[in-house]
Amino acid sequence: MQAPAPILGSMKPDGSRLMLHPADVKGRWMRARRIVFGALIAFYVLAPFIPVGGRPMIQLDVQHRRFYLFGGTFNAQDFWMVLLFALSLAFGLLLVTAWRGRVWCGWACPQTVFLEGVYRPIERFIDGPREKRLKLAQEPLSAGKLARRVVKYAAFFLVSVLIAHTATALFVSPKELWLMIEEGPRAHLEAFLLTTGFTAILTFNFTWFREQFCVVLCPYGRLQSVLHDKDSITVAYREARGEPRGKLVKNPAPDTPKQGDCIDCKRCVVVCPTGIDIRNGLQMECLACDQCVDACDEVMDRIGKPRGLIGFASQNELAGQGRKVLRPRVMVYAALMVLSMVALTVSLAVRTPFEANVFRPRGANPFIVDGATVRNPFEVHLFNKNPEAARFHLSVTAPVPAQVVVGTPEVELQSLTDARVPVSVSIDAQHLGKPVDLVLEVRDDTSGEVRQKTIRFLAPLGLGR
Amino acid sequence: MNAPQSSNDKVVHVYDDIREEDNQLPNWWLFILFATIVFSFGYWFVFHTTKKLPNPPEVYAADVDALKKARAAANPMSDEALADLAKDPAAVTAGKEVFASTCASCHGQQAQGLVGPNLTDKFWIHSNKPVELAKAVDLGFPDKGMPPWGPVLGPDKVRKVTAYVLSIQNTNVAGKEPQGEPVE
Repeated sequence: MQAPAPILGSMKPDGSRLMLHPADVKGRWMRARRIVFGALIAFYVLAPFIPVGGRPMIQLDVQHRRFYLFGGTFNAQDFWMVLLFALSLAFGLLLVTAWRGRVWCGWACPQTVFLEGVYRPIERFIDGPREKRLKLAQEPLSAGKLARRVVKYAAFFLVSVLIAHTATALFVSPKELWLMIEEGPRAHLEAFLLTTGFTAILTFNFTWFREQFCVVLCPYGRLQSVLHDKDSITVAYREARGEPRGKLVKNPAPDTPKQGDCIDCKRCVVVCPTGIDIRNGLQMECLACDQCVDACDEVMDRIGKPRGLIGFASQNELAGQGRKVLRPRVMVYAALMVLSMVALTVSLAVRTPFEANVFRPRGANPFIVDGATVRNPFEVHLFNKNPEAARFHLSVTAPVPAQVVVGTPEVELQSLTDARVPVSVSIDAQHLGKPVDLVLEVRDDTSGEVRQKTIRFLAPLGLGR
Repeated sequence: MNAPQSSNDKVVHVYDDIREEDNQLPNWWLFILFATIVFSFGYWFVFHTTKKLPNPPEVYAADVDALKKARAAANPMSDEALADLAKDPAAVTAGKEVFASTCASCHGQQAQGLVGPNLTDKFWIHSNKPVELAKAVDLGFPDKGMPPWGPVLGPDKVRKVTAYVLSIQNTNVAGKEPQGEPVE
């Protein structure tokens, strides 16, 4: 029986925090992760700056309900598409987790990307490797330690300021952000407080809170335990090969009991960012960061044993069964993901450059009898979804002689603005023996699109007979 | 599978092989619990006992009041204010533009009347008092074919187009026959 594991790898028995100082890791997975971190950070930082079609690649102008995404222009009425987008992401996440465990956590989650890709390397640069950091943490406060701490926290704060401002730029565009900075916090108190608040949260999170977020707060971390099954491939210690563990003996005596491959060097434990011992099996705190895999491979190389004592395996594989990827769970998640993505693609493809809807105006009767004429008032609501201003032409035609008044037959609309155009149609009662359908035609000069709407002309029953 | 054993033996109960234990919580977590308890007393005292700070519904009501006042101040709707505006050339020019694009299709480019009545003679179906005129533009007479223009134009343009119509009163452009009552 092994020694019992602590309740939480990052907590002392009295409940106080055990600050973790993961050791440096070299290896193929770490290299791959660094590349992924770099690409994701580059995307995040550049997204507001790279113009696509004259607009930022990503700008979520919440204040004006205008959203520019990869050259497309969206308004609040398109918000329903977020559902399809979110479903695609959610089912994608379910699929990946059921198949390969928490790769999101270890490879793509902003918490990991910024902590392992930015903050931890800064800490490593200023405070040195694990042994030095541990020693420094235990040292009493001295001038040297204070200087290191000040430099480190200042660097963390500076990085947080940059990340927070990039986040703000995603909402207001970098140009607007620069103007806001020039005009000062007093003129843009709300944006200033939001950015400052985000900076404070980032600094606190990446300076002190760190893995506590993943281990205690993050709901996805909790959700994953029901997304996994025994065929999910996770980071795993091959117990059958490793045990019984023990110190490496150069030339064992012939009568010593057979030893496993694990030399109990604890490299896998000291590199772990959440402070767990992967040899205790799959645990809730494991973020699939693969650092113990790299660490163990390095040790196995050195002692001349094959790699993969800590590797990727499902629970069933560890129990001696085969790997099974295509399971009903995986197929259902994949099908739902593809379905959501197809629905999203279709709804993006059939988006129209403008909207034209006909209403019967509030406060007016649906029809007005004026002597021998019947009049119908309408209201045409136009919404320009083009990324530029557009000019619309409105006309109403009737199959019988009619007097048509279109309030403003030509409407110039800025991008993502709307207008209501009143329309009044009068028809002599003698033409109203049969139902009359009017045709509203809206032509968009910019996109050249023409839209026709049929409007039923309303009249009292029995008129014109 | 060797599930990690807890260092704690205080098992509260076991059900379906799931053990509930009474483990130590992280101190920061407990700190949040106690901090919210302390905060609730302060909140209670400030917002409900002494009422030193306004509650959200009160803040909302005050904001709406302030907005209404600001809008009224920006768009004064009185006979005098509108009559003054009719003497402001900039406002009248702006109003004329609105008239040409919005009103002319019914009232004619010279306001001489087409479907709608002539606005330059002394005959008025409804009142020609400035406030009544602005109200006619704003709310319209939907039953008689005049649409409510307030939602389309907004209060500022309604005032300016009213100022324009006031400025051309009794210019007697030849057009549609008189409708309504003569107003001297």
